[in-house]
Amino acid sequence: MTLQECYAAMGGNYDEVIGRLRSEKLVQKFVLKFLNDGSYQLLLDSLAAGDREEAFRAAHTIKGVCANLGFDVLLASSEALTEALRDGRPPQPGEADLIARVEADYARTRQAIQAYQEGAGG
Amino acid sequence: MKNKTTRFLITSLVAVALLCVCVFSFFGIHMGNQSARTINQVGTLYMSSMSQQISSHFESLIDVQMSQLKTLASTIPSDSVHSDPALQEELIAQAKARDFAYLGFYGNDGTLEMLYGSQVKVTDPQPFLSSLQEGQQKVAIGTNDLGEKVALLGWPSPHPPTREHNCAALVVGLPIEYVSDNLALEENSDRAYSYIIRKDGSFVIRTADAYRNSYFERVASEYEDVNGMTPEEYIQALSDTMAQGTDYSNEFTMHGERYHLYCTRLPYSEWYLITFMPYGTMDSVVRSFSQEWGTLTILSGAIILTALMLVFYKYFGLTRQQLREVEEARQAAEAARKDAEHANRAKSEFLSNMSHDIRTPMNAIVGMTAIATANMDNAEQVKNCLRKITLSSKHLLGLINDVLDMSKIESGKMTLNMDQVSLREVVEGIVSICQPQVKAKRQHFDVFIHDISTENVICDSVRLNQVLLNLLSNAIKFTPDGGEIHVALYEEDSPKGDGYVRIHIEVQDTGIGMSEEFKKHIFDSFAREDSQRVHRTEGTGLGMSITKYIVVDAMGGAIDMDSRQGQGTTFTVTLDLEKAQVMEEDMVLPNWNMLVVDDDRQLCESTVSALASIGITAEWTLDGESAVDMAVKRHRRGDEYQIILLDWKLPDMDGIATARRIRRELGDQVPILLISAYDWGEIEDEARAAGITGFISKPLFKSTLFNSLRQFAGLPESEAKGRPQEHHRDLTGRHILLAEDNELNWEIANELLSEKGLLLDWAENGQSCVEMFQQSAVGYYDAVLMDVRMPIMGGYEATQVIRTLERPDHDLPIIAMTADAFAEDVKRALDCGMNAHVAKPIDVDEVMRLLSKYIK
Repeated sequence: MTLQECYAAMGGNYDEVIGRLRSEKLVQKFVLKFLNDGSYQLLLDSLAAGDREEAFRAAHTIKGVCANLGFDVLLASSEALTEALRDGRPPQPGEADLIARVEADYARTRQAIQAYQEGAGG
Repeated sequence: MKNKTTRFLITSLVAVALLCVCVFSFFGIHMGNQSARTINQVGTLYMSSMSQQISSHFESLIDVQMSQLKTLASTIPSDSVHSDPALQEELIAQAKARDFAYLGFYGNDGTLEMLYGSQVKVTDPQPFLSSLQEGQQKVAIGTNDLGEKVALLGWPSPHPPTREHNCAALVVGLPIEYVSDNLALEENSDRAYSYIIRKDGSFVIRTADAYRNSYFERVASEYEDVNGMTPEEYIQALSDTMAQGTDYSNEFTMHGERYHLYCTRLPYSEWYLITFMPYGTMDSVVRSFSQEWGTLTILSGAIILTALMLVFYKYFGLTRQQLREVEEARQAAEAARKDAEHANRAKSEFLSNMSHDIRTPMNAIVGMTAIATANMDNAEQVKNCLRKITLSSKHLLGLINDVLDMSKIESGKMTLNMDQVSLREVVEGIVSICQPQVKAKRQHFDVFIHDISTENVICDSVRLNQVLLNLLSNAIKFTPDGGEIHVALYEEDSPKGDGYVRIHIEVQDTGIGMSEEFKKHIFDSFAREDSQRVHRTEGTGLGMSITKYIVVDAMGGAIDMDSRQGQGTTFTVTLDLEKAQVMEEDMVLPNWNMLVVDDDRQLCESTVSALASIGITAEWTLDGESAVDMAVKRHRRGDEYQIILLDWKLPDMDGIATARRIRRELGDQVPILLISAYDWGEIEDEARAAGITGFISKPLFKSTLFNSLRQFAGLPESEAKGRPQEHHRDLTGRHILLAEDNELNWEIANELLSEKGLLLDWAENGQSCVEMFQQSAVGYYDAVLMDVRMPIMGGYEATQVIRTLERPDHDLPIIAMTADAFAEDVKRALDCGMNAHVAKPIDVDEVMRLLSKYIK
């Protein structure tokens, strides 16, 4: 599995990110590091604890990372969640859907990267 | 109001003038009368005294003679008889001794018995005789036998008459000249003269000119007017006065001259002395005085009138001026009111237009959103809707930007952001933006660059783009399908000096043009040609107003316009721009021979001269046919053109056809480049098939030519061909503090920026960022890149803290780097004291540009 295929699987924009980072090796390095990024766990924990402010920051970080790595699908869903959590807004109907979408997209992205990692490693 | 005041002024002036004339006339007449009365009085006084004098003179004259006569009479004894010859001898002797001319006895029967001297006849015997008989001494007139007048003096006889003693008086005679000469009745030095008349008007003694027998006859025939009486009335009045024995005084006019007359009774006689004196001399004194008076009166009247006139005239002028000022003020107020109304109306119209213009794209957005929502599953439909929504949004954004620009202009807040600008990039950018519209309307579009030597200038590129885009999009908008649009750039020396260059940018179309009326308002805010033909055209009507402001007011340039309805419009923008101090690339190419083919002669010449400046010798021709001929001729000589530039649009045979012919004749060696102002995407395949080696897009700046041709000289293709070249400073070795809570993001940024030679330190949150900065040496960090959303302390707060630190470098550049890219985020970042804002994902070029800009 190539890096392009990995991006295609997760719904990312490989061309854009390679245009910015200019090196496949660099992109690979950061993509793999994404698996270790704690922001997603922080988001889930904060939501569970009801700390909406921390949850917002975590969602925001995910959004920033995704933007940097060109993970467009997860970027879109995390951005939607970020806006829902911004400025300490009370929970709106449909927020659960947004969270579910982030979870689904994160899982998809993670799976794609893991598959790539295994492919690269194997 | 004006007329009213004028009328009042004129009326009052006339009234005052009339009053003046009346008062002075009254004075004049009154004084005239007064002087006439005075003359009369003086005359009367003078005449009466003169008459008295003559009268007393007469009396004394007669007294003298009477006393002689008395002595003579006393020699007659009382008992004697008149007929006594001795007595008579005695009397005669004595009378002669006393110089009497005549002597005689006057009998009671009225006979005059002469003792000596010729016989004398008494002219009016009756009153003479009766007076003598009553014992009065009397004077009378008689005539001698020669008809000469004789003055007779009678001495009454002391004896009562008897039969033999029938003598009434002793009478002596004197020549009348004795009396008249002594009385000096003739005209004297005063031109006064006198008559002696009887009651019936008959003359006793008269002067030479009075030839009639009676004064009354003379009066009747000669006198013209006697102080308002007819001569007859005067005669009556005179007779009445004489009958009463009193004096009479009057004045009359004879032969046009006025006279006084004075009549008084003479003693010893029934006679009246009547004296005349012409007003003449005596009058002249009074008259000259009165004339002087009159002149003075008239003069003073005239002076006062003149003064009055002057005052009125001045006042009139003042009033008129005031009226004029009032009128002007009124007109100015009126004009201001009209302007205000016009502006108001224009604003109202603008608002209604705007609401319409805003509603149109809004409706599209709302409608398309609804359609997209309803067709979520139909990806094609949704895409189509989104495309339309994007278009409408852009349009809406354009409208709002215009309004914002206008409000900036009106509040004087539009400022220019001067920076280095490449004219080539500006024109290329505009051409590429306009190409789709030009293509959609199948308009003939061309762009000419005439000898532009300075491509890099200092200007606000955004505003310059805005101006050109506005002019060009107007040209496209108002030019019907198939019309022509030309953009041309000229350069000349600037009057501002060597550091400047004057650029003319001309946008010409063959569109609908403008009406004369609209031309006047083209640059007004909210103006839009309001006629049927442009009813469909959308826009705020602010574009030209903004354009003019940018060009004229902000950039200090000029904008000219030439437009004919139905024929087209040409806008010319003239700007004096500062030359940019950049190291221009040393543009030199091998000394090739080239052929330039274009149907525009100017473009050919301009291109050839641009090529000459980069070391290429070029020839040019205007059509494909001659181009083939020239190329073939050279080929046969073995002196080939190294490169041929062909315009795509050529008359008769277009660029592609020409290329095909050349390829057929010359083979594949010579590179042929196609010049075009259009997007060549559509013709590329056909062109390549015809043997075209490559493309050059207009505008043909020197650098455009150089960059396009350098590949054929084996030089590497310029970076400028790709993205616009950035003139970043070398920031190698600079220390940057990067605050970022996410390790992954930090690593990415670190990786990318380290590659540019920057040395980065990582702060995990705002607090540690502040601490690291505090602990660093002053000036160690050149800038801070600050994430906004961080735990413990966010980027905004961290920035605020750093800005308040008491360190000389507390104002170091801080650039926000965040995933939030809303306008309010940018604003908030700047409000907190950050210098700039970049959005994630990290764009290295953008970050480097900002760092270059802010790092000192």
